[in-house]
Amino acid sequence: MKKVFYLLLLPWVCWAQQTIPLTDLSAFDHPSTNWTIEQVIKARPTDTSFQVSSGKGVLLNTLRHGKYKRTDDLKFNLNHGDIHFMMDFMLPKGANSGIYLQGRYEVQLFDSWGKKSLKFGDCGGIYERWDDARGKGNEGFEGFAPRQNACKAPGLWQSIEIDFEAPRFDASGKKIKNAVFKKVILNGILIQENIEMSGVTRGSLFSKEGPLGPITIQGDHGPVAFKNIRYETYDKPSAKLSNISYQYYEGKFPEPVIGQAIPLLKGNLAALTQKVIKARNDYLIHYVGDLEIPETDNYSFQTNWTGSGVLKIDGKEYNSGAHWYTDDISATVNLTAGKHKFELIHVKDFSWGPKALGVFVKRIGAQIVPLHVRTSLPDPEPRGLIEVKANSEPVYQRSFTFHQGKKKTHVIHLGDPTGLSYSYDLKQGALLQTWKGKFLNATQMWLDRGEPQTAEPMGLNVVMDGKFPLVLSSQAQPDSVDATKLVYKGYKILLGRPVYMYDWPAASLKVEDHINPNENGTGWLRTINLIGTSPQKSNIEVVVGNSPDVVEINAGLLALQGMGYYVQWAGAPAVILNTQPAGKQVRVPLQGNSFTYQLIW
Amino acid sequence: MKLKLSILLLAISVGAFGQKPAPKTEQDFYEIKTLPIPQDLYLEVGGLATMPDGRLAVSTRRGEIWIVENPYQKDSHQTNFKKFASGLHEILGLAYKDGVFYCSQRGELTKITDTNRDGVADLYEPIYQFELSGNYHEYTYGPVFDKNGDMLVTLNLAWIGFGEGKFAQWRGWLVKIKPDGTLEPQSAGLRSPAGYSINDEGDIFYGENQGDWVGSGRITHLAKGDFAGNPGGIKWAKEPNSPFKLTLEEIPDNSQPMFEAAKKVKNLKLPAVWFPHAIMGISTSDIIQDTTKGKFSPFPGQYFVADQGQSKVMRVFMEKVNGVYQGFCINYREGFQSGILRERFGSDGSMFVGMTSRGWGSTGKDNFGLQRLVWNGLTPFEINAIHAKSDGFEISFTQAVDVKSVKNAASYALRSYIYQYHHQYGSPIINVKDVKIKGISVSADKKSVRISLDGIRQFYIHEFILKGILNEEGEPLLHETAYYTLNQIPAGDKLAMNESTAPVIEKEAIAVVEQPKLAVNGKKQLVTEAQAMALLKKHTCLACHAKDKKVIGPSYEDIAKRKYSDQQILALVYKPNPQNWPDYATEMAPMSHIPANDVLKIASWINGLGAKNKVEPNRD
Repeated sequence: MKKVFYLLLLPWVCWAQQTIPLTDLSAFDHPSTNWTIEQVIKARPTDTSFQVSSGKGVLLNTLRHGKYKRTDDLKFNLNHGDIHFMMDFMLPKGANSGIYLQGRYEVQLFDSWGKKSLKFGDCGGIYERWDDARGKGNEGFEGFAPRQNACKAPGLWQSIEIDFEAPRFDASGKKIKNAVFKKVILNGILIQENIEMSGVTRGSLFSKEGPLGPITIQGDHGPVAFKNIRYETYDKPSAKLSNISYQYYEGKFPEPVIGQAIPLLKGNLAALTQKVIKARNDYLIHYVGDLEIPETDNYSFQTNWTGSGVLKIDGKEYNSGAHWYTDDISATVNLTAGKHKFELIHVKDFSWGPKALGVFVKRIGAQIVPLHVRTSLPDPEPRGLIEVKANSEPVYQRSFTFHQGKKKTHVIHLGDPTGLSYSYDLKQGALLQTWKGKFLNATQMWLDRGEPQTAEPMGLNVVMDGKFPLVLSSQAQPDSVDATKLVYKGYKILLGRPVYMYDWPAASLKVEDHINPNENGTGWLRTINLIGTSPQKSNIEVVVGNSPDVVEINAGLLALQGMGYYVQWAGAPAVILNTQPAGKQVRVPLQGNSFTYQLIW
Repeated sequence: MKLKLSILLLAISVGAFGQKPAPKTEQDFYEIKTLPIPQDLYLEVGGLATMPDGRLAVSTRRGEIWIVENPYQKDSHQTNFKKFASGLHEILGLAYKDGVFYCSQRGELTKITDTNRDGVADLYEPIYQFELSGNYHEYTYGPVFDKNGDMLVTLNLAWIGFGEGKFAQWRGWLVKIKPDGTLEPQSAGLRSPAGYSINDEGDIFYGENQGDWVGSGRITHLAKGDFAGNPGGIKWAKEPNSPFKLTLEEIPDNSQPMFEAAKKVKNLKLPAVWFPHAIMGISTSDIIQDTTKGKFSPFPGQYFVADQGQSKVMRVFMEKVNGVYQGFCINYREGFQSGILRERFGSDGSMFVGMTSRGWGSTGKDNFGLQRLVWNGLTPFEINAIHAKSDGFEISFTQAVDVKSVKNAASYALRSYIYQYHHQYGSPIINVKDVKIKGISVSADKKSVRISLDGIRQFYIHEFILKGILNEEGEPLLHETAYYTLNQIPAGDKLAMNESTAPVIEKEAIAVVEQPKLAVNGKKQLVTEAQAMALLKKHTCLACHAKDKKVIGPSYEDIAKRKYSDQQILALVYKPNPQNWPDYATEMAPMSHIPANDVLKIASWINGLGAKNKVEPNRD
């Protein structure tokens, strides 16, 4: 009988990193004339170059004089060691670029869209190393392919996030620790993790490794664009905890409230640890210490505990509540330089689950620092992945799934051997999300009792509106429809994939929803067929998307969600409505009995 | 050839004279056959449906339906598995009717058709969509077809530290769904109704797990308008189509027995048969009546109830007294490979047993499995039936009894007790009373014994331990312990009390069981392993624990590591604290009926295991 903990997962509140302003080129070291600052760029997925509107905010590389050269590489003025680096990029068809950390270690940017088999030279790969002395044909070595293809279509904005640890050297300059790509995250998908570099990759600016170097973007292969360039380096001091004492109270405390209790034991601690007492449960420990703040700034405190607790700084409560120790709870506090009173009360009034306590502090510009002894916070339980694969034929699987923070209970997922997948809400006749890459993580459904009973996408995911796409032309699209407005009639399997069937009483019609890969397997072809002879049929519109923004690439091709995916169709032009709050809705009037559009990302 | 034959005869005769025949066991009569499952298949069985063409369909918790060819393993042991349907959401019930499958998913009763007859499903149609809150414990079971072609479905409560049905409509109910999707609520008060079926009279019975408001496992007859005891889903009795009205406030929660509450709550339905926790299983699952007309078992018309945690099949005999079902349960066959969820009869009268233990654990060590229970036609010496009488019971046997043994009062150990009815999880047994035999009468054919008892109690569970009863060959019963739930005491004649019915009270030269000397020369005298094992078996502890490996509960060696005192172990046996063992999915039931002296002996042995681990190196 496990106690129920309500999960409240709060990520780090802010990654308010340094931003490289793209109002001019002053952040860069002698950029070649190929590099310019523009406002909007766009391209069709088939274009090898961009349509450009001048302005500010986007860094663009364009061929201007014949041939690209090494000098077209863009060096940042930023000389860095350890760094967390993030940016958005856009590639036209066939593009090739890369980001060199310290000018030495390259993460490849490449139009790998739709590729099945990936190498180190594909998007998100860590490029190979090169040594002529190895002899002809054997110069290349190492190099790390990404875990999976998380590359979007040309002409869409993509994101990359790199967590890099610089190599370390002793006083004599001898390397004592290799550089490490701690994480490379492409479009939200973790594709490299803790990869150690034995040396510089091919095309490095320097032949030797060193503690510092400039971020460098490869500009010698073709057009490429960047925006939202942000980074964090770790040279600031962070908070420390000193002068720690504790008081131990015995008994069942359901809440971290001492009340009239008398402490059983008290003492001082060199560092915070729950191991200070032997009891495994039925205790309250009250820790007090001096929080030494080096400089006035925002500090985020992440706590982990099994049971309940409260974190107070200068008497004010921040993190609190009943949690499992793997839940990260965090709060951000603005603190002035100097000493502050730190208090933490931890209670555990039940015997199951590991005794655990951890407190981390994060200041922007400093690494995350534990304030506890490592052994105070045990490792999470190992849980092997249960992956549903769709390697040779389409695979469909029902489950619960989260969509925009809500648990949906009547959901089917389809994985296709093309690498495309989607989730569909059977009650709403609506696409919830669509992704490519690996299919489905069913661990939360099929391990033990499967308590959340949810399944999650394992690839590059685009979240859709989750709404039934058909409306009568004068009517607003409802957020959801009940079973009397849209009657689910099941699905039939055609070409190995489900075709969803509904009765739609508003128009006295039957609806069939076909979702199949397009000809090249690069996106979904969704065909909505209307069956029946309703006078309403001429009065129906298809909502092909709801998005905060809409960019029209050309007639019948729009980019939605920050140019995050394309919708494409042939036929009537779109009507773009303003929706509340501050959104756009793309409608296409239905002509005939059927409407087909594509989703491409 | 001749030579070989004579050697063989010699071998046989040596064998025959060499030793006494071993006591008969379940497997001498009821054989378990294992269907081999392909290694890459996760056949966590949720539903079984036999097909008229000799194939078997199996639905799984991973949402697939597999069709098994050669499930009866007729000419070869090998079976063939073909995937028929996939992608469904935890299919815990499967039926096959007129060439079409019907199954329950968590949120839907679904009809599945192979329209183009290529052996793979291509049409999935909802018959009914159930509401779900998203809690994992809102399981859906069924359907079971009734004779009109309507479908019965049961809906499990959510689990939020207790069973709760208010988040989604009809949770905690048995509902009837017509093929056109019309839903009619039938009966309420269900907690975890994983198995149910309809008997030859058209009455519905379901198996319930011990839990909140459920003192122990049980089977209950569900008529329309019945409330089976757990109020988790009582909110829905307010719906206009509910067959009865009842509110939570009307249900007493005072730890009195359920029959006391039933005197006040009109719709509250008492179980037909209680299954004493830990003895007759720990998680009652499926129930099915033997309608094979003598093919499946020597007990035609009786019921077979499975248990997930203890991986066994039990037998139930029921009779109707004053229009109310009641009867007894008794062990039938243990030793299945995993936790049993489903039982279905095959066309040859054998029983398919579908298993999964994920999330709960089971005595059978496999995560899942598919087996067949086959009777080999030999009839063991067993209790056949127990009928309630105005002054006691009439027990019939499958074979003629040894009259001397049945006339002996010492052949019987009888007592009665009951469980509490309250919102807490489970219950200890309460109001325990030993029952004395006043009179015994044996029928002319020696296959039936009438016993007159001192103080049978209506509504109580009557425990029969017939350890001294022998057949004419001098063999003991295959199963000596049965539990009769006496809902009604019939009218009728009483056994005449005279010399011929007086029980024989033997002054036996009883070998007094030696009391363990707990302190000799200041050192603890260890209870021997043989003594401890005998006690552990007697009190059914071994159903859930083993000396050195995790079964349902922790091993005795692991318990020893906790270094409880003997008295602490006694306290925990009487009032377990499941939170001490968070890694075990199934809670221990209070075992307060075991004599303290026995528990202390066991505790002493357990703690000896701990001491053994610390024995210093041999210095000789």
